[in-house]
This record gives sequence, C-alpha cells and structure tokens, in this order.
Amino acid sequence: MSDLITNLEKLGEEFRAVIAPLGDEQAIRAAQAQFLGKKGKVSELMKELGKLPPAERPAVGVAANKVKAAIEQLTSARLGELADIAAQADLARVADVTLPARPLGGGHLHLLTQVRLEAVQIFAELGFVVAQGPQIETDWNTFEALAIPKEHPARDMQDTFYLSNEIVLRTHTSPVQVRTMLTQAPPIRIVAPGQVYRRDDDPTHSPMFTQLEGLAVDTDISFSDLKGTLLHFVKRFFQRDLGIRLRPSYFPFVEPGAEVDMQCSFCGGSGCRICKQTGWVEIGGAGMVDPEVFAHCRIDSERYTGFAFGMGLERMAMLRHNVNDIKFYYEGDVRFLEQF
Amino acid sequence: MKVLWSWLLELCDLDRQPTVEEGARALTRGGIEIEGTTDLGAGFTGVVVAEVVAKRPHPQADKLTLVDVIVEKDGTATQVVCGAPNVPAPGRKVLWARPGAKLPGNITLGEKPVKGIVSPGMLCAEDELGLPEDHAGIVVLDQDDRTALGSPAQLALGIADHVLEVNAPANRGDVLGHLGVARELCAMLRGTLVWPDADLAPYSRGAAPAPALELAIDAALSPRYTARFLEGVKVGPSPARIRQRLRAVGVRSISNLVDVTNYVLFELGTPLHAFDAATLSSGVIGVSAARVGEMFTTLDHVARTLVPGDAVIRDGAKAIALAGVMGGLDSEVTAATTRVLLESASFQPLAIRRTAKRLDLPSEASLRFGRGVDPELAAFASARAARLMCQLAGGTVAEPLYDAYPGRKAPAAIDVRLARVQSLTGVAALDAAACTDALERLGFAVTGQGPHLAVTPPSSRSDVTREVDVIEEVLRVAGYEQVASTLPALRKAPGVPELDRADVARRALANAGGTEAITYGFQSAERCGVLGLAGADRRSQPIALRNPMSAGQAVMRTSLLPNLGAAITRNQSFGRPDVCLFEVGSVFLRRGEGVAEQPLHELADEPVWAAGVLAGQRRAQLGAGTPWDVFDAKAFALEAIRAIAGDLTVQATATAAVAYLHPGIAGELSIALDHRRIVVGWFGELHPAVRQRLGITGPAFAYEVDLGALPVAGPAQMRAIPKFPGTERDISLLLADSIPAATVHAVIAAVAEPLVTGVRLLEDYRDPKLGAGMKSMLWSIAYRSAERTLTEAEVEKAHEAIVARLVENLPAQRR
Repeated sequence: MSDLITNLEKLGEEFRAVIAPLGDEQAIRAAQAQFLGKKGKVSELMKELGKLPPAERPAVGVAANKVKAAIEQLTSARLGELADIAAQADLARVADVTLPARPLGGGHLHLLTQVRLEAVQIFAELGFVVAQGPQIETDWNTFEALAIPKEHPARDMQDTFYLSNEIVLRTHTSPVQVRTMLTQAPPIRIVAPGQVYRRDDDPTHSPMFTQLEGLAVDTDISFSDLKGTLLHFVKRFFQRDLGIRLRPSYFPFVEPGAEVDMQCSFCGGSGCRICKQTGWVEIGGAGMVDPEVFAHCRIDSERYTGFAFGMGLERMAMLRHNVNDIKFYYEGDVRFLEQF
Repeated sequence: MKVLWSWLLELCDLDRQPTVEEGARALTRGGIEIEGTTDLGAGFTGVVVAEVVAKRPHPQADKLTLVDVIVEKDGTATQVVCGAPNVPAPGRKVLWARPGAKLPGNITLGEKPVKGIVSPGMLCAEDELGLPEDHAGIVVLDQDDRTALGSPAQLALGIADHVLEVNAPANRGDVLGHLGVARELCAMLRGTLVWPDADLAPYSRGAAPAPALELAIDAALSPRYTARFLEGVKVGPSPARIRQRLRAVGVRSISNLVDVTNYVLFELGTPLHAFDAATLSSGVIGVSAARVGEMFTTLDHVARTLVPGDAVIRDGAKAIALAGVMGGLDSEVTAATTRVLLESASFQPLAIRRTAKRLDLPSEASLRFGRGVDPELAAFASARAARLMCQLAGGTVAEPLYDAYPGRKAPAAIDVRLARVQSLTGVAALDAAACTDALERLGFAVTGQGPHLAVTPPSSRSDVTREVDVIEEVLRVAGYEQVASTLPALRKAPGVPELDRADVARRALANAGGTEAITYGFQSAERCGVLGLAGADRRSQPIALRNPMSAGQAVMRTSLLPNLGAAITRNQSFGRPDVCLFEVGSVFLRRGEGVAEQPLHELADEPVWAAGVLAGQRRAQLGAGTPWDVFDAKAFALEAIRAIAGDLTVQATATAAVAYLHPGIAGELSIALDHRRIVVGWFGELHPAVRQRLGITGPAFAYEVDLGALPVAGPAQMRAIPKFPGTERDISLLLADSIPAATVHAVIAAVAEPLVTGVRLLEDYRDPKLGAGMKSMLWSIAYRSAERTLTEAEVEKAHEAIVARLVENLPAQRR
C-alpha cells in the first residue's frame, strides 16, 4: 500500500522535472496530459488500486487527489511564469519614436479655397446664401446695370478685359447682384464669391483675383446694418476684436458709398509696416445700393433699401496669413500650396 | 492730384491752424482720401538764410571768393570760401550750410581748409540741396525777399511745406483744385472758405476798351465760354513763389503767362487757355464740332486728324485749339506776345474725354474738363488769372469780359425727407438741425425745418442731384463713425442653395491626397495648344481677349490640364518633382461651332471640371516612395465622381482617342444615366508629345472629370449589416492577356448568382513562362446569404457554376 502512495507522490516530483525545461504552453499541456490524462501515469498507477484491500483504498485515493492537485498547480504556476516572461519580453521591445511619422494620405485645399469657405460660412450664419454667375459677362450686367454707362469716368477705375464690345471678363462679382435681383423678389441676402479680372499686375494686384461680394435687400436695410455685418465678419474671420471704420468713397453703384478699413491685424492698430503706420488697412468697398441700380433691376427703391459690399479674398488671406506677394496664389508652386 | 499745404491753408479761414496730419486725416475722413504726404524740406537741415556783407578774392585761387556772411542784423561776420561765379554784392541774401548741416547724399558739413583757408560750411546751390533746378551758381534770394536772417533755408525756398497726394473720387471734379479741397477742409473743420483775390479794378482803370469780339458757341459742346483781352503784357520768367508752387504740384515753369494759367488751374480747378491775340484776326471766336477729316496741329507740333465728336475753338473758321485738350501751335503765346486773349470756359465732359482718349492726350486740362468744370466759376477764374497776369507781366485788362452762357441752369432744390435720411443711414441723430448744419458747412443752401428739407447744392457740386446724394453728403460731414453697428433683421429663411459640386470635388480630392492649385482663367494661345487637340474639337478654339496685357494671357482656357501640366514643369525646375496637383474650376467654350476667329457676341459655356496631374512619387515614410501611376489617376477621378454621384457604377474602358493621353494607357469613364451612357471623364498617362511640349521630365498622369455631367446622389442609405457569416472562394485563371479585367468581371456578373456579394481581383500576373500572350489572374469571390449560414455544398455549387462560365466564355483555363 505504502508503495503505491509513495509512487503517486513521486509522480509529482517527476512532473516538476518534466515541465521545468518546457517553454511553451502546448508542450506543458501535453506533459500534463501524460500524467493526468485517461491513459496518463496517474491513471496507470491507480489501476493497481483494485489489488489493495478496501481498507487501504481511501488513503490511496486521497494521495491520488493530492498529486493531481499538485500537478495542476505546477502546471498553472509554470504557465504563469511563462506568461510573465512573455509579458516582460513584450515590454522589452523598443521603437525609435524619433523616426519620421508615416505620411497620411491627405492633401491641401488651396488657401484661397479655405478662406472662401470660411468667409461664406461666416456670412451663412447671418442668413446669406451663396449665389454665382459666369466669369464671361455682358457689359450690361457688369457695368450698365450698375450705373456705370460706357465712357463713365468710373470705368477707368476698373480697367477691363474685353472679349468684344458687349462681352467682358467681369471686373467684379457685382453682376451676380444684378442677376439675383432680376430673378428674385426681396428680401434678398446673398454672397457671391468668384474670380474676377482687371488689367492690373504688380505685387499687390493680379490680373485675376477672387472677390467676395455681399448683397442684402429688404424694406429697412440701413447703413448701420452694413457696418454691423462687416464688423461681425472681421471679428469672426480674424478671431480677434478688431474694429472697422467706413470712409466715404465713390462707387457708382452705391450711395452712400464707403471704403472699408479694419484695424491692422499685424499690429492690432498701433501702427506697423503693413499698415504704413496708420493702424488701419483697407479691405474693400461697400455702400447702400444706388436707386439707379434698383431701377435697372426692377426693384422699387422707395419700398426697398439694400447694402452691398465687396472684398478681395487674396487680400484677406494676405492679412491673415502674411502672404507677401499675390502671385504665389496662382503659380501652382507646391512649396507654397502645401504650407496651408 | 497734388495739393500744397500752405496753398490750401491760404484758402481756409480756420479757428486753429491744423497740422498737416490733422488736415490729411480730416479730408480722408470726409471722403477726400489723402494717399500720402511729403515733407518738401526734409532733404536737408542746418542751412540758413545769411546776408553777404563783404567779399574779396581768394589769395591762392582765381576762381574762389572769400565771402563774409552774417545771420543776424549787425552780427559777427563769418568768412566762407565759395567757388561759385555768382557771389552777389553785399546786402543780398544767400543760403549758408553751416558746420553740422546735413545735405542730400548723406553729406555732413564741417570746417575744412580750401586752398589754405578754412571754410566753415559752404554757400549752397539748388542742386546741392536736392532741388531739381540745377543752376550754375549758388542760390541768391530775390532783392525783395523778406525771409528773416538766420531762418531755415526751407522758408526762403518755399519748401517749409508739405504736398498732399489727393485721390479724387471719379465723380468729384470739383476737388481737382486747391479751392475745392479747401471747401472740403473747411466743411470738416468748421472753417470759412477764403476766395483768392480777383479784383481787376487796379488793372482796368483807364485802360482802353477791348476790341469787338463775337462769340459763336455750340451750346452742346460748351455750356459757357468767356474771353477777355489783356494788353501790353511782357513775357518773362515767373517769380520764385509761383515757380515754387508749380514745382511742388508737379508742373514745370514756362513763362509768366503760361504759369498763371497753370497756377489758376491748380488753384481753382479751372483750366484756362491764353492765346496770343495778335494771331487772331476774324473778330469771332467760336466753339464748334470738327469737320470730317479736319487737320489741326497742336502745340506739341503734331498734326492731328479730327473727327466730328471733337470740340474745336475757332478764330472765324480757322481752328486755334482742341477745346479742353490742347492749344494750337499757331496761336500759342510766345516770348514776343504782348496781347493776350484769355479763355475761361466749360466744355461738355464726354466730348473732352473721348477726344483726349482717342488722341491719347491726357492732360491736366482734359482731366478736369472730362470730369466737368463748374461753368459758374468761369468768370471768376478769368478775373483771377487776368489779375495775376497783370501783376506778373504788367499790362492792363481791357473790359468787357465777353461771356456766352448758353448752358446756364437755374439752381434746383432737392426734396430731402428727414425720415429717409434716418432710415437709410440708421442714425436717428440726423434731425433737421444736424442735416442743415452739415449741408451748410459744404456750401449747400437749406430751407425748411422738416419733415422735408429743400436743399440746393452749390454750382460746383453737379454730382449731387438726388435725395440719396444729399444723404451721403450729410452723413460724410456728420461722420461715418456716427453710424452704429447693427445687424439686419432676418424675416425670411435663407434660400436653400444647390449643392456646390466644385467644392464637393475639391474637398474629396484634397482628402484623397491632392494639393489644390488655382490657375489663371486665361493663358497663351501656345499653352492652350499643348494638348494637340483636333481642329474640330471645341477646346481647340479658345475665346480670345481683345486687349490682353501680355501674350501669356491671350486666350481663355478650354481645359484645366495645360496650366496643371505647366505646374509640373515649374515644380520640377524647383527641385520638387513629386507633384499631385488638382484644380477645380471653369473652362470657357464658345457656344456654336466654327467661329474660332470671330469675336464673342454672346456668353460662353462655362462648364466646371475637376482635373489633376501626378508626377514623381507618393510620399513615403522613409526613402523613395511608390511612383504614381495610372491607377492613382483613376482613383482620384473615381473619388471626385463618388463624392458627387455616390456609389453608382462607373465603367472604365480603354481608349486611344484622347489626343493628350498615351494611346495604350488611357481610360474613359462613363456612367449609365436615363438609359444612356454618358462619358464623365478620362484618366491616363500624359501623352509623350504633350509632356515634351510642356517640358515635363519623366512620366506624368492626368485625370479630368466633367462635374456638371454627374447626377447628384441623395443622402447615403444604410445597407443591412449581415447577420450570417459569408465565405470566399478563389479561382485562378490562365487567359489571353488581351482580355481586360472588366470582361472577367462582366462574365461573373452575368451569371447573376444571388449568393455573390463581392468580386475581387487578387493577382494579375504576366510571365513568358505562361505562354505567349497569356496571363494569369487570381480572383476571389465572396458568397453569403442574408437568411442563413451557407453550407459547403451550396457554396461549391454556385462557385463551380461561375468557374465553368468563365472557362467557357472568356475563354480561360483553370489553373
């Protein structure tokens, strides 16, 4: 009897020796099966149980259970050890995190597109909807309807590219005002962004540039509404509490007309090179829609009033992003385009 | 226009003299923009007015003089060495640059020996002070100069002064003279306008009456024409004060008579013309239209052919001047002139503008007449000029003033409603008193207390004719800063705008890795031609500009690709060969056909396209990246389509018909729409010939999508998430390499096996070992049922049916 118990107890030690060199879970499980499986060593020994007198059997059973438990405990301890080793090895891995990041797929919207989308969004919050029109326009839509008849001195202000006597490259997006007023009844609230063309070429003027024009027509639109709308735009666009000022100026299609200045975004109004020490930079023109324009567009100027404004998006981008030459916008130079 | 500060102040009576900065600010605030101010005397310092008290020759040099000067009455004399030939006699004043004086060219004077005698500083010539008149000798002030000894030289030279650059609005001809600007300054600063002296009594008293003169004026060309005779004038140089003022506003001094006409032009804004009366013979001065083909020689010695729109001044039938534009050679005043006929008139602005523009003769006179000169000012201007001529050139004024005024207009009052003033401006403070105050400051006459005011503008303000014009005047005098900031009330929901396909495409292409370019809408004819399109293609017939600025901007673009292709070359030349650019924008196509050389008489088609180019490599984390290829171009094109049209089936077919794409590496993209197949774009490798024309190094790829041709997808609709597992089966085929993948795909689709949920090509393998003209393809087909887990047998059956169809129809061998 004692032999059997002794043999059972030896199996525990034997198992410990068997699994000591084993490094992976599968081998350890296989080894365990050799001891605890149906045909395992413990079962083999237990076959001899029947040969023992019944009185001795319980003690052997206890010993067998004990060795089974010991083997299971050894197994899980060993597996735990291995898991610890594996976890430590896992944690021992290193990467040089100073290597460059892998480039993502994204590209770049043009700075002018970004600025345009943002400007349109700001005006959309005030209820302005985008309207568009062709770049090749009639002389009538571009000039006549805007109270700039042929040979008016103001035509010199906007040197025009002509395609024929009656067809031009639009010099401003104001023809979109005309098209809108001819097809929609007030109230009207639009912004018209788009490319325009003037015969002008130097570091601050490009023969093609992008204008954003706004128009609001209703029964009680006032000059103060114009001022408030532009002030809101400037603050939102520059994300700063910059002031604006309107200066009397002449555009044939607005009366009263104004030049719009804002506090210089570089110095905040204290004076610098960009604003020529004045603290102010010009951003566009604006005013109340001239009754003659309303007449051309078949809107009753006694019943309705309106404001209109226009600004160059290149200039807005220049002021906000410190772009120092307008030509960069149009050259397709990736060294510029990929900066934004 | 240039305005001299001292001249301007002379015409204003102000409580307190403003600084030039204050004046400039006030004018700008009122809408007369001062673009800049220049300090005329800023060029030098430390030069003073000194009196010569003695002079003697230098003992060591013939050409040098030792001059004793004083800078205060009875002060101690200082000896200065001077090399000029014109050292004046004692008693006359000169300009002495004392030691420490700073002169133009970064010169600082000290005490230095000249031929053995120390000279403290020097006596100055004009050129040494940076003044444009280069006289041979030192500056000697006029005998009667009253500048105090020791004063800065700037005072004596009339350059202790500033020039203001006025940007006159196009509708404000009245501020093209100092008087008009002074009127604005007085309005802004609450001053009173001071009219210059035009009293002729001292010069006409006792003078013989003028010879008889008849004026024959075409009222359509000249609303008012005045003429007067001056007798016994003597032509000579103008005094320094006149010369200095003219120089400051940018006019060269010619002679006293001509200078006076220019002086009054800048003072009052009214151009005048002086004829030599001895050259006139008929006793009739007329203004009439030119005859067809009439020739006339202007005083610049150019013989010009006139047209009937030109206004001509005539002595009888003979042309003597091009009205308002330029005088005639035969009748101009010369050194010998003693009798003058002085013209002061107003001409029809449009006629003057046309003539000046046609003959390319812009002048100070035509600029002003072209904007409109106040006819009411004509007689005053004539008197002012006559007075100055008599002062400067002697002579007398022969009365009367001959004055034809066929265009006289009675001043008309404008009805202004106070309620309108307030509602349009949004400024409630603009009541009757405030409006009246503002308008009267500008010289407007106002009657009434409200609610209506009757407002009569001064004759100089022909631009003010309507209530709204008056409102602007009120507001600009009151100050635009009076206006509060409000927002317009939103009473109606904003309209719902159409989807902006262009912006959808831009965002999609940028998200996919493209960099957006924006290029000019015009280009050179040569660049337009780089695509090598056939003559019948609309895109080969660009719309030409009639007045381009350069050959590089001669025609409107008909495709986005030439500018993008040129951008590849440009980036390559800057060492940036990896390019993935796109542009979304309009191209410009003629409506109708076969009109390439005709000017455009109707609007153009402006379809919006998305196009892109790829060259070099995709950026990698380290080292060389993957070269861009035709399938990247295809991917970008499909992405633009998908962004707008959603997940519709886009068919790609090989095409050799696109002139600017490689005939073997180009695809056409089409969609089925309303039972029709519509081509929506192309992609491929740029044709080697196009690459060569553009100067591109290495292969480049391109795509373009006609955004307007695409249907707009509605919101994406959710598809059910599968509840049961699917399974995949692969099939390896050996087939002819001429069979495109799309054909294999089509065969699988044609089986219409309902269990198939996806087909993927895993491998496209070409190897000579496979046999000539053969390739191997490995396809994976996914099977799934929405109702149950499929059994092996079901999948096997479906798959084998498809394989059988492929083997038979392509044909292909199963590998």
